[in-house]
Amino acid sequence: MSVIEIKDLHASVETNEGRKQILKGVNLTINSNETHAIMGPNGSGKSTLAYTLAGHPKYEVDSGEVLLDGVDILTMTPDERAQAGLFLAMQYPVEVPGVPMTNFLRTAKTAVDGEAPAIRQWTKDLTAAMKNLRMDPKFATRSVNEGFSGGEKKRAEVLQLELLKPKFAILDETDSGLDVDALRIVSEGVNRAKANTGLGIMMVTHYTRILKYIKPDIVHVFADGHIVETAGPELADYLEENGYDKYLPEGATESAQA
Amino acid sequence: MVARKEISIPVADPNNPYAIPAAMPSSADRNPRSFDVNDFAIPAKNQEDWRFTPIDRITEFTEIFNPAQQIRVELSMIDGSDVPESVTLRAVDKGQAPVGTVSLPNDRVSAVEWQSFKTAMHVHIAQDCKTPILIKVSSSSFDLDALHLVITTDALVHAHVVVEHEGDARLAEGVEISTGDFSQVSTTFIHEWSDTSKHVGNHRIHVGKGASLRHNVVTLGGQVVRIRMDQDFGGEQGEVNMLGIYFAEPGEHIEHRTMVVHNHPECKSRVIYKGALSGQGAHSTWVGNALIEPTAPGTDSYELNRNLILVPGAIADSEPNLEIENGNIVGAGHASSVGRFDDEELFYLMSRGIPEKEAQKLVVAGFFNELIEQIDIPAISEHLMNTVNARLER
Repeated sequence: MSVIEIKDLHASVETNEGRKQILKGVNLTINSNETHAIMGPNGSGKSTLAYTLAGHPKYEVDSGEVLLDGVDILTMTPDERAQAGLFLAMQYPVEVPGVPMTNFLRTAKTAVDGEAPAIRQWTKDLTAAMKNLRMDPKFATRSVNEGFSGGEKKRAEVLQLELLKPKFAILDETDSGLDVDALRIVSEGVNRAKANTGLGIMMVTHYTRILKYIKPDIVHVFADGHIVETAGPELADYLEENGYDKYLPEGATESAQA
Repeated sequence: MVARKEISIPVADPNNPYAIPAAMPSSADRNPRSFDVNDFAIPAKNQEDWRFTPIDRITEFTEIFNPAQQIRVELSMIDGSDVPESVTLRAVDKGQAPVGTVSLPNDRVSAVEWQSFKTAMHVHIAQDCKTPILIKVSSSSFDLDALHLVITTDALVHAHVVVEHEGDARLAEGVEISTGDFSQVSTTFIHEWSDTSKHVGNHRIHVGKGASLRHNVVTLGGQVVRIRMDQDFGGEQGEVNMLGIYFAEPGEHIEHRTMVVHNHPECKSRVIYKGALSGQGAHSTWVGNALIEPTAPGTDSYELNRNLILVPGAIADSEPNLEIENGNIVGAGHASSVGRFDDEELFYLMSRGIPEKEAQKLVVAGFFNELIEQIDIPAISEHLMNTVNARLER
């Protein structure tokens, strides 16, 4: 049983117009086996929250803390956070030319576990995980994310999630760019990981359609850098019907914000 | 109203492209080629060929010297099997063919090498050879030395040659490579000298008619290493692929100059050099010249150089030069870049638990792997990847 606690988190980013505060006091607690959906209008800071938790150098934490089982992860480097059990599935996974997937996956697994996986078991796990995600075996020999379609990239993210077995996964717009079949396959992968390891999930999404496949226990509305409303799955239904207008500043519409 | 005036555009005679005076002299006309040292000035910074080179560190190679003759050259097969009879290594005197038959020296240090060496070593390949041939060049002293190596193949031969250099050395090396018509040959030169070694080299390369040559260079160390490649074709439809990999550490100067000459129709050339540099005083130079002569319609050429700065303070000079004297060509392209690690790539790898140092190593291995993958000779690409990985472990 693990818990991640985000307490009054403030973070900012350097822009051409100077420092801009994006996270303005985020409070959130996620336990193992829980799925939290973070929903909100474009530009509300959802992705910033995801990247700040993973330790992207672009975002600077101004105040607050993030505790993983009581240990502050904000002082850790991104690799240390991953080793501590955090995983970020990115909206736009990065291409790393010339580095074969197999090589990358094995290196990551070794780093996260602190020891190299037994070769036989590893090969078996990798083959099975790829098969579950309907990935062509040739995938393993290709360079990391290079020349992958949008759907292939997302599958590769979930493949890593299944193999690295983190305690908590942040899924950043994992549904974007997926057709219905791919969405189902990717969602099944996430659900499998949760069933197998008791994964806690923070699912950042703009649309409700992924929630049909990955059922949230709790839904939060994120606007203007913090959580403005928290409720059960029924909140997602409300958002589906009414959009985010209620949470936007007076007079603004979402299209104007985007 | 604009006044109209009849103008006449001069039309070139395809049989005599020089009938109309060229607007600019080509480097083929300008640069001397000679065995005589005195035909070349002492290298100086104001000469185009030497402006990137730390000349004061290689002055010993600019005058004819008496070589120590301590350098060892051994022939074997890369897998340890017996050398077939069709592959021979023998000492040949300077005046005797094929020594000195592939082009002429084109700078002073190359002419000095020619005048200084005593006896050349000649490797000849008469028949197909599946297993790569290994020529080990080793030295264990800093006494000034000269080596002249000639590699020739008969027509139609398929073969691979790996030349490994290692140890302590101050070496002037001349290499002549001449491949037979319609042959398919690869030559791979690995320079893995100690940090204080010096090496100046000149590869003169002649690719047979309809032949294909893959020329790989890997330079992993040495205080100063400067190698120039001069190539031409022996007939139409030849192909040359030049690939280079280099690492420069603080205090090291690693220089490669490639000259591809398209002198026959429908030949293809690719030059791809990639380097990694780390830290203050690490200096690399790549100058890629491609000359497409009037006699070479249908030429397809491309050259590329990429440099990855691993630790700030390093300097990479990268200069592609194209001289195109024939308008009827398939392509003549070039690209060049110098850059740092991509932060997004590093973050991605680190977010999967991979520590920064190891993530950097993966990125560098990938940077070189991209180019090694293009070699469709598994024994050679594996050998190169192992060499690069061993270097990254340092």
